[in-house]
Amino acid sequence: MKDLKELKKIEQFSDQCMKCGFCSFFCPVYQEEKMETSVARGKNYLVKQILAGNQEWTPEMANIIGKCLLCKRCAANCPSKTQIDRVVVGARAQMVSEKGLGFIKNFAFRKVMANRKAFGRYAKLMQAFQWMMPKTEGKIRHLPDFVKSLGKRNFPELAKTFLRDQVKPVYKPQNGEKPKMRVGFFTGCATDFVYPDFGLKFIDFLTRHGVEVVVPDTQNCCGAAIYFSGDFETGRMLADLNVKAFKDLNVDYIVTTCATCSSTLKDYQKYLPDNEDQKQRYEEFEKKIKDSMEFIIDILKIKPEDFKLKKEFEGKTVTWHDPCHLVRYQNIKDQPRAILKALKGIKYVEMPNADLCCGMGGSFSVYHYDLTKKIAGKKMDGIKATGADIVVTACPGCMINLVDNVLLNKMPQKVHHLLELVE
Amino acid sequence: MLKESLISEFEKIVGKENVLTAPEALKAYSYDGTTSWIKEPEVVIFPKTTAEVSQIMKIANAEKIPVTPRGGGTNVSGGSVPWHSGIVLAMTKFNQIVKVDKENLTATVEPGVVLQDLTLRLMKDGLFFPPDPQSFLGATLGGIISENAGGPACVKYGVTKQYILGIEVVLPTGDVVHLGGRTLKNVVGYDLLHIFISAEGTLGVITKAELKLNPLPMAKKTLCVVYDDVAVAGESVFRVLENGVIPGKIELFDNWVINRIEEMMPIGLPKDADAVLLFEVDGIPEAVEKEAEKIAEITMKYGAKEVRVAKDMDEANKYWMARRAGFAAVFGKAKTVFAEDVTVPRGNIPKLINRCKDLAKKYDLEIVVLGHAGDGNLHPAILTDISNKDHYDRAVKAMDEIIESAVEFGGVLSGEHGIGLEKQKFMKKVTEPVVIDLMKNIKALIDPNNIMNPGKIWE
Repeated sequence: MKDLKELKKIEQFSDQCMKCGFCSFFCPVYQEEKMETSVARGKNYLVKQILAGNQEWTPEMANIIGKCLLCKRCAANCPSKTQIDRVVVGARAQMVSEKGLGFIKNFAFRKVMANRKAFGRYAKLMQAFQWMMPKTEGKIRHLPDFVKSLGKRNFPELAKTFLRDQVKPVYKPQNGEKPKMRVGFFTGCATDFVYPDFGLKFIDFLTRHGVEVVVPDTQNCCGAAIYFSGDFETGRMLADLNVKAFKDLNVDYIVTTCATCSSTLKDYQKYLPDNEDQKQRYEEFEKKIKDSMEFIIDILKIKPEDFKLKKEFEGKTVTWHDPCHLVRYQNIKDQPRAILKALKGIKYVEMPNADLCCGMGGSFSVYHYDLTKKIAGKKMDGIKATGADIVVTACPGCMINLVDNVLLNKMPQKVHHLLELVE
Repeated sequence: MLKESLISEFEKIVGKENVLTAPEALKAYSYDGTTSWIKEPEVVIFPKTTAEVSQIMKIANAEKIPVTPRGGGTNVSGGSVPWHSGIVLAMTKFNQIVKVDKENLTATVEPGVVLQDLTLRLMKDGLFFPPDPQSFLGATLGGIISENAGGPACVKYGVTKQYILGIEVVLPTGDVVHLGGRTLKNVVGYDLLHIFISAEGTLGVITKAELKLNPLPMAKKTLCVVYDDVAVAGESVFRVLENGVIPGKIELFDNWVINRIEEMMPIGLPKDADAVLLFEVDGIPEAVEKEAEKIAEITMKYGAKEVRVAKDMDEANKYWMARRAGFAAVFGKAKTVFAEDVTVPRGNIPKLINRCKDLAKKYDLEIVVLGHAGDGNLHPAILTDISNKDHYDRAVKAMDEIIESAVEFGGVLSGEHGIGLEKQKFMKKVTEPVVIDLMKNIKALIDPNNIMNPGKIWE
């Protein structure tokens, strides 16, 4: 008898599904493919077949279970509250435990991303060679023609100096007074290598508001791409390292400017625990995690009308894109809107389907780029309908994908993190 | 097993990507919205045009391969389960809204259009398609027509068949016929159109439909009326109607469902109430106000405990969301659920509800009641467990008696779900043998090789 340990853990969630099929309306992948294997109901049914011993981990099965953005739109709208994300992630973990990761993921996850120093070195190496990638505009480059088969992907440049190389271990409040609280800053890969300015900006913002900030250099990748792909072993290792990195710093909260990082750190307790001890540690860790959006409004209690718009954005029309990792993973949707609506000098327009996934889905966009573009196309329709000059969001992952698709669709919009808009 | 050569013929017709034979894909097309009917097809084909359907049907007819048309697979009768295997004709990619004709209040649609997508499109023109099966998020028009689906709006607006002006159908022989037309009145020979509506895909494949639309009502109002006795709630339904108010919807759920909904999504329903009725009135704003007042007055007069008028759209939406979650509430609570679809003349609702209560006692079972009280279509649900033989046997007996009771009270076995596989064993009991023979003869005439969705409706 096969050991179905990871599947056994999610069997109770799988049993929740009553096959009504309402998920089809909300699933971005189903909306493109119109096939039962694309949608939560079909995936869940097949996972149950594995549990029942009627289905093996065939390449087709791996493909089906891989083709999910984990955007959680189906789960959020499920009448019987099936947590299909846990079923999909659990199934991937089961598959990895039986079949291994495969060469590429094994290298990327375990040899690069799981090791802070190695990850930095590889990023440096890529940065040194990025001149080979043609410029699209400004700091955006794209894949050269000789790898056209991968599509003309636009992506932001890697920063000249990574955040890790310019950040201090401790920042005292700027007013010189006793700090009103002490927070740990979680860098995250995208902020570290691509958008170090957000990090510095947020640290500056916090210290201006009387907060002491510590940035431990023992922190690692949050592990999202890794454990969502089913590599729980590496995921747990990173979770333990990150928990440890902040453990003795005596911080009130741990904050980050990346929606994926904040939700991933919070959700260690949900997806990863293998025993009671781990569960307890991850649950305690979760209580301290705050995304930048909720931290400034809910914890620092800064009134939305007290934010000041940066001059260069004056007179612009803006719209908000809900990152899946904020709106559904953390139920953060009102805070950024409150800020945008209150900001004097810009006009806020809500986009249709603001909570629709941008199509990135982490490594999903690597394996299913054509689908990513189609799903992003619907997002682009929503953006066009607003007539906005700027698409605002709070997730570097979404930003990378939105920038690519705005350019592919030859649209004029710029994409910004909310923190970039305010002084 | 289907011949390899046939698969490649199908691939030639619709393209390789629209023919699925992987075992995983076949498993994913082995079920519908029911719990216990599972059968895998041998191939899943996604046609996108009438011509493609016709070519596929010609091959299937020549080779005598069973064909089961399928839309969103949201049905709850086993209707889209390929019971004799063969071909599943998945219509989900055949899904264009061809035309919305504002002048004539009609729309032309392909069979794979999902009802909610149609609703959103029609809203832009201030129109709507009244039949509202509660599976509208996934149900396709082809399936809705084939099942003659209904929903809460039936009280005032009727069911699907009242909104289909014409259809294009591919017959099992591959011939393409057009039944009905585009006009409101049409008496040209036998009304064949309505034989195909509610035929559950056993006569042909619907490839296009001409729908009758209504202008969206200008205003709506929702009332939640609370009762100490579910049978009194049932009586309120016809009291309101006989006093001259025809609400858009009247929905009922009993104490058990109320509490389960409150557990799932607390919205402040009265947990101690024996039942609530949800009313929705729609129309011209002034009329809506007056009708809402009238409903409050009549229901209070005939034994309601409390009337809550939704103060805004948000509150109204909460009530209707709760209603939609009703079935999930029931299904999530038991291993096996018999969701009945019996329908009685409205005046007999209290009798039917009381009978359900008696049966629950008699067989020591949980029988919960929710449904479209406004049109006499109740969904008593029996909670049981197929692996507990004694319990399950009692549940089966209770189900038999509920259906017999409905017929005794002048009602029918199924109001809107259809027979499919789920209700077959009762079909014989409640239908005159000559009528069944007539149906079988019609089927044999149109589908001589019995390839269209075989195994459904009668045993």
